[in-house]
Amino acid sequence: MTIRRFLIFAPILLIIVLLQSYFWVPTYEEQTKGNPERLNEYIAGSIGDASLLNPILSADSASSSVENMVFEGLIDRDEQLHFRGRLATSWEVFEEAYFYVNPSADVPGLGKPNPETLVDFIKKTKQKNQTENRDLKDSLGCITDISVLAPKTSWVTKPFKYPTTGTQKNIKIRIQAPARIKLILNRVDPDFFQNLLQLLGKNYFESFNGKAYLMSDPQLEKERIAEYAGELLPAVEHNPVLLFHLRPGVRFHDGHLFDAADVKFTYESIMNPKNLSPRIADYEPVKSVIVRDPLTVKIIYKRLYSPAMGTWGMGILPEHLLNHNALEKEAHRLGKDPNKFSMRQSSFNRNPIGCGPFRFQEWKSDQYIILNRFDDYWEGPPNYKKYVFRVIPDRLTQEMEFYAGTIDSYDVQPHQVKRLEKDPRFQTFSGTALGYTYIGYNIRRKPFDDPRVRRALGMAIDMDKIINYVLYGQGERITGPFVKQTDYYNHTIKPVPYDPEGALTLLASAGWKPDKQGWLTKDGSKLQFTLITNNGNDLRKAILAIAQDAWKQIGIDVHTDLLEWSVFIQERVNKADFDALILGWQMGIDPDLYQIWHSSQTNPYQLNFVSFKNKEADDLIIKIRQEYDHNRQVQYCRMLHEIIAREQPYTFLYVGKWTAVLDKRIVLKTLDDAGHIRYKKITPTKTGSYSFYFNKWIKLPETPSFMDEG
Amino acid sequence: MISFIGRSVIQKIITLFFVSIVSFLIIHIAPGKPSQVDPMNPKFTPEMMERFQKEFHLDKPLHVQYFYFYRDLFTGETVSWKDNQSVLKKIWERFLNSLPLFVVGTIITWTLSFPIGIRSAIYRGQFYDRSATFLSYLLISIPGFFFAYVLIIFVVNQFHVPVIGMETFGIGDGASLPSIFMDRIWHLLLPSVLGATGGIAVLSRYVRSQMLEVEGQDYIRTARAKGLPPEQVHYKHALRNALLPFVTMFGLILPGLIGGSVIIESIFSWPGMGRMAYEAILARDYPVILTVNFVSAVLVLAGTFISDLLYLVVDPRIRL
Repeated sequence: MTIRRFLIFAPILLIIVLLQSYFWVPTYEEQTKGNPERLNEYIAGSIGDASLLNPILSADSASSSVENMVFEGLIDRDEQLHFRGRLATSWEVFEEAYFYVNPSADVPGLGKPNPETLVDFIKKTKQKNQTENRDLKDSLGCITDISVLAPKTSWVTKPFKYPTTGTQKNIKIRIQAPARIKLILNRVDPDFFQNLLQLLGKNYFESFNGKAYLMSDPQLEKERIAEYAGELLPAVEHNPVLLFHLRPGVRFHDGHLFDAADVKFTYESIMNPKNLSPRIADYEPVKSVIVRDPLTVKIIYKRLYSPAMGTWGMGILPEHLLNHNALEKEAHRLGKDPNKFSMRQSSFNRNPIGCGPFRFQEWKSDQYIILNRFDDYWEGPPNYKKYVFRVIPDRLTQEMEFYAGTIDSYDVQPHQVKRLEKDPRFQTFSGTALGYTYIGYNIRRKPFDDPRVRRALGMAIDMDKIINYVLYGQGERITGPFVKQTDYYNHTIKPVPYDPEGALTLLASAGWKPDKQGWLTKDGSKLQFTLITNNGNDLRKAILAIAQDAWKQIGIDVHTDLLEWSVFIQERVNKADFDALILGWQMGIDPDLYQIWHSSQTNPYQLNFVSFKNKEADDLIIKIRQEYDHNRQVQYCRMLHEIIAREQPYTFLYVGKWTAVLDKRIVLKTLDDAGHIRYKKITPTKTGSYSFYFNKWIKLPETPSFMDEG
Repeated sequence: MISFIGRSVIQKIITLFFVSIVSFLIIHIAPGKPSQVDPMNPKFTPEMMERFQKEFHLDKPLHVQYFYFYRDLFTGETVSWKDNQSVLKKIWERFLNSLPLFVVGTIITWTLSFPIGIRSAIYRGQFYDRSATFLSYLLISIPGFFFAYVLIIFVVNQFHVPVIGMETFGIGDGASLPSIFMDRIWHLLLPSVLGATGGIAVLSRYVRSQMLEVEGQDYIRTARAKGLPPEQVHYKHALRNALLPFVTMFGLILPGLIGGSVIIESIFSWPGMGRMAYEAILARDYPVILTVNFVSAVLVLAGTFISDLLYLVVDPRIRL
């Protein structure tokens, strides 16, 4: 019957049609070996797609890895972690310092100062060079220029809250600023004003009565507006300055010349609230950006802020494509309201143009992004012709593609590294990552308020075994909050030893003794708490179980819980509603740890959620933030490291090692002095950026054998 | 007939309205905030988060947000919070990607399960039936992703051909049109087969049971007693009656268009709807989630409507 025949034929035909397509598909060999162009492409695999290709707007790692190829910043860090110029050829760091002439102060040797006499006094003291005090001499030696700013009157509007009624109104305040002395220093000196007090008299800055110069409209008592005096008329002000000299002849991918106006535009775009840039906090301390000439840009900061230099690694945007006029034109073209149209809606984000070594070609959502070599790149074109970013969300298929040769690199997992290490076709290198994993204890809750308990909990866990078996060796011990490969990290501090007996002794000294069943008790209640972490991270899940077991061995009853990431963060971390948790931090090189460790950051939704409060640590954190001298900064950091290691607000678990697995045929190609091509093995830099010389990479047709490292 | 259609449509619109309210409430009541407002990023200050909230209208009361969202949806203006692209455009693109996968998967499922199920029913209890039953249960029990991994590893290691993605990467430059077309078909093969395996197992069991039920009826016994050839009995009489429920089922597979399978799409790097919806949920990208929800609700209701109509056509006993 026809139905029956149809029922049999239809599936058979379908299967044949589908299966015969196999013969048309190029095999892996054809794709890699048979395709000579493949050697000129570098294909990176990624789990997630990029969101926006705009360095000032994006916040995820997939976008930033593509942005690093398309955009270029003023500086970045070299193999020794020192700053090196990219779009900037050189830079100067100095300071403009201000203080007010205080007519009520009594300057030793001068009496009541007026602006001119004060300036003369300082100049003469500097010239005479006779002061015994070395600090004062150093500080005076920094001064390259002194000038007087005439007194001026200005008005500001500030919101004011009436304390009795609680209502808030805007009031106008008239500031009759007295004369101000401006000093230009040849370096940033955080102790400048401290040292100047030796000259001006100990009370000079303290006795400066700012509120005497303020008057408010409507009239309020001076005491009420005294709170504004510190902000509007600070006795002293440090304005560090970064002066960048830019590289001439750099072009954007569309041929337009790069200049200082682009730098200023990038800064203004970041600060523009309409753009909702996640980087605003980094640039908030900037007072102004001044374009001196097309190749010089001067950036003045409101206060001492040493992380400043590092923020200028930000990719520079082309002003001619994104300024107000360009956006307006685009809005009109798309038929949208120009007033509401901001950079976030611009099609630039899907089609970026920058100064980097690769130019954007195509982006197919959730599939791939293709970048082509930029021949006019200022450092010379990179060796690779194409850079492709492929989105492959599953780790197993990533490994299969890597094995087959259709991707060149991806985020290798520790267990995969073990497998691939043995294959002679691949080379591996690893380094420590920038970040660490830890167990954080909520110091607000008992028993975690006792540092002995925290330390004992750390001593009960065998970290080395975790590193060997859970991480397959892809991790290292870490003892403090800094990046291990920088000099901020204090290598003299020993990690907490694995010593369950010692832990029991410590706990006993804190009052926790085992009861008849072996559980630790104090004053009748058991030592019991809940350890939580987020779902989706197998390593943390494993550590959850291991920690629970380790603590059970010494008699602590621990419950565990796994929560979905958003819930974990919103309900537990942000509201500080937890006993202990396992989390990790990913950080940059900069040692500014204010948000994580300062005692002012312990409120809900802030990052010091363990509530670590230590006065000494607070002081050090502020000093680190304001110290421009590298050696002194290193000293402070090491002291801070020691304090934190001693107090153990976290049990620092490990710092992961990243391992990159690459085809052995990928090598560094450089030209030596005679113009001959030399090939060198790739070695990773300290930051873990093994792609540091990426522009010099090339894939050879055959595996090279190196004779020596020369 | 017209009154039936009219009543049905009005009922469905009311249901749609309730569905939209419920899905909206669920998204907003669920804990977790959009990832733009991610507080774990140390660079985010409270002012930043507030600004994002304002931008996304999250600070307004729920009914105002509801109104904003649906107004944007109907004017085609909804924009994803993750990458500022028009949601409808995104959904349409992904839909076109998922469609061939879905169509081929459905064709494979339906064309394969009917012969298998019918033969099982006819030769009930014999070797064929028992082995088909065993295989069905096996296929239902094996987790889809496990089976997918096994297949991928097998195919890649034995045949050395790529299986992931919609097309072989890089084939676009310089290959002939037929080979591009065939390449696409190859890439469709493995994911749709995997998607179909579960479907075949279930559907063939269902076909078998329906056939058995119909075969047990008196009129079939009469037909056989009258001496009709067995083929006519099975295919002309029994099958046609057994097909009735499947006709209605056919209308209900319409919502499957929007679902896609998250797992299959993730494993095969197929840029489809399911994966997009899943990632939107993780990132709490409300516009995308709500739009996908809404579209899928529309499709379900349209599907049931079509099923009703088809049933009207197919079964002469139903008169409205």
